[in-house]
Amino acid sequence: MNKKKINWGYFGSLILSVVLALAVGAAIMAATGYDPLNAYHELFRGATGCDNLGQVFTGLFTKRQFGNTVEYAMVLFLTGLACAVGARAGIFNVGGEGQLYLGAIVSAYLGVVLNGLSPWIVIPVAALGAMAAGALYAWIPGVLKVKKKVNEVITTIMMNSIAIYFCAFLSNGPWKTSQPNRVSGTDPLDNVYRFTQLIRGSNLTTAIFASAIIAFFIWYVMSRTATGFEMKLTGHNPRFAKYLGLSVDKLVIGSMVVSGAICGLVGMMEAYGVRGNYQDGISNEYYFDGLLVAMIMGYRPVGIIVMSFFFAFLKVGAAGMELNAGVPGELYRIIQSVVIFFMAAEGGVKALLKVRRAGKEGAKHG
Amino acid sequence: MGNIFTTGLFRQMLRSATPVALAAMGGLLTEHAGVMNIGMDGMILIGAFVAVAVSVVTGSAALGVLAAILVGVLVGAFFALFVVKFRSDEFIIGTALNIFAGGLTVFLLGALFGVRGTLRTQAGLPTVDLPLIDQIPFLGEVLSGNSLFIYLTVLIVLIMWTLVYRTPWGRWLRASGEHPGALRTAGVSPEGMRWQASLLCGAFCGLAGAQLALGNVSMFSEGMSNSRGYVAFACVIFGAANPGKAYLAALMFGFFDALGYRLQEYNISSNLTSMIPYVITVIMMVYVVIRGQKKKAAV
Repeated sequence: MNKKKINWGYFGSLILSVVLALAVGAAIMAATGYDPLNAYHELFRGATGCDNLGQVFTGLFTKRQFGNTVEYAMVLFLTGLACAVGARAGIFNVGGEGQLYLGAIVSAYLGVVLNGLSPWIVIPVAALGAMAAGALYAWIPGVLKVKKKVNEVITTIMMNSIAIYFCAFLSNGPWKTSQPNRVSGTDPLDNVYRFTQLIRGSNLTTAIFASAIIAFFIWYVMSRTATGFEMKLTGHNPRFAKYLGLSVDKLVIGSMVVSGAICGLVGMMEAYGVRGNYQDGISNEYYFDGLLVAMIMGYRPVGIIVMSFFFAFLKVGAAGMELNAGVPGELYRIIQSVVIFFMAAEGGVKALLKVRRAGKEGAKHG
Repeated sequence: MGNIFTTGLFRQMLRSATPVALAAMGGLLTEHAGVMNIGMDGMILIGAFVAVAVSVVTGSAALGVLAAILVGVLVGAFFALFVVKFRSDEFIIGTALNIFAGGLTVFLLGALFGVRGTLRTQAGLPTVDLPLIDQIPFLGEVLSGNSLFIYLTVLIVLIMWTLVYRTPWGRWLRASGEHPGALRTAGVSPEGMRWQASLLCGAFCGLAGAQLALGNVSMFSEGMSNSRGYVAFACVIFGAANPGKAYLAALMFGFFDALGYRLQEYNISSNLTSMIPYVITVIMMVYVVIRGQKKKAAV
């Protein structure tokens, strides 16, 4: 196999779109009466914990804020890869949010029920439980799409709402903690089961190592194996794939199930890492953030992993920006979606020019 | 349990159904034109925000509604620019639009009004009493004294049905989705029809947002569209893009939404009852698609 060339055109338009999106963010801030330079400086401080670039080189790895950024990058690349696994095979899993919630609550509940057993038993069981919950919940819309041609976007979106309400019911009802000082959520997990914090005071835990292995594995399957190639073929042209004798239905449902399992596992990592139990709002549309990253990178695994760090930087930094510069942190979502619009516009203008040029050439020759 | 089906239940049904029905009227236009509009949820959200923001500033609910419709048209144009002109992926643009709307409305809520979460307004849309009908027992209580747009929506549904199935414009619209080549041969641009459908869809979603924020309640709250844009999309599919059937589908959503509220009074967890309309939507979606395939197979 010859080495793949880096797609410089894509890379260039990506950088341009990100810069323009940041400029749009600055323009919006200026228009609503904020100081964009100060805001972006606070964003930088909020994401790195450093006042200037010099400090980045000396003390970045001890900063609480940096730990939070890396932790959120982990959430983004896992959810982004989950989205990509489905999209590559031609099925859009928009239901990752619900799968994440179910994974979180099932694993948290298992941790409470199995309390007292060795962590060597509890953690794998919880991880498997979370993956099974997410996978099963993704399997339903997957089968409906493949066997009955029911639009998976609508079913998965509806199933998000269903799962989130259902988890809220469990965590405020039958699975609610008995501890008097907590109003909702499951019982806290014993510390021996929780991922160990890597930077003091930050969200970053040893879950990052597991995530790195999983990400590597997904990248490997997607870009270095026959299965990955078959997925791509199926997503690109299912008829042709079927003609070649691939079991298209199995590939699509399988991709959806894997996608759901990853989302479930992210839920488990949140419950056993940052939070220490299941609580309402355990994910604040994390999956949609990851989905946007996956879309921006055209479902390319390596691109998703790299870009996740940038968007985690923006997201975590935006919290600091809100705190110290008073700019609403939701600016982050505006910038992220504007990147997509710029990239789509660039692609669209290029295609239009091509059509126009072809038309002119045609006119000359005709 | 005999008293579940009260007038309150049916009034709530109409309230819940109307924003969904209005958005569905827009969604069926883009559906006929062959554009899959996943971005309706964001359009509704922006409409709701603009309606409340303008009514807070001007004190007028009418101006709020008007502004929501105008901004809706702009958002529709933005959507069409990408999906029709640039031929971008409808799914990606729609999803990005929804996330953009969520971010922008919360940002502006903080930046312009200095609040988080909700913004209340004194202005609200008027209610209308129906003479004679309000004399009928039960039915009168349900049908009379509702918010203005609950009645206008019925009128809009009739107009839309006529427009889509009884005018040349409607034929062009349907042809732009089904046989764009034939339409072009006939001298009408399918892209032009898609643009018009997208702009109108934006206007309807803006109106839906305005009704949600000013008709049903008098406030904007973060993420208040609450997947209604997707429910509207599902209603378009249930109704095979027919305005009358889509309206009935919206009424059904409204009924189950209202039933959820009603069941809370029987000490059933609100988290469980809130699931009902979404569960029904999934079940209906599956049922309608499977039935459609059976019909096709029978032919």
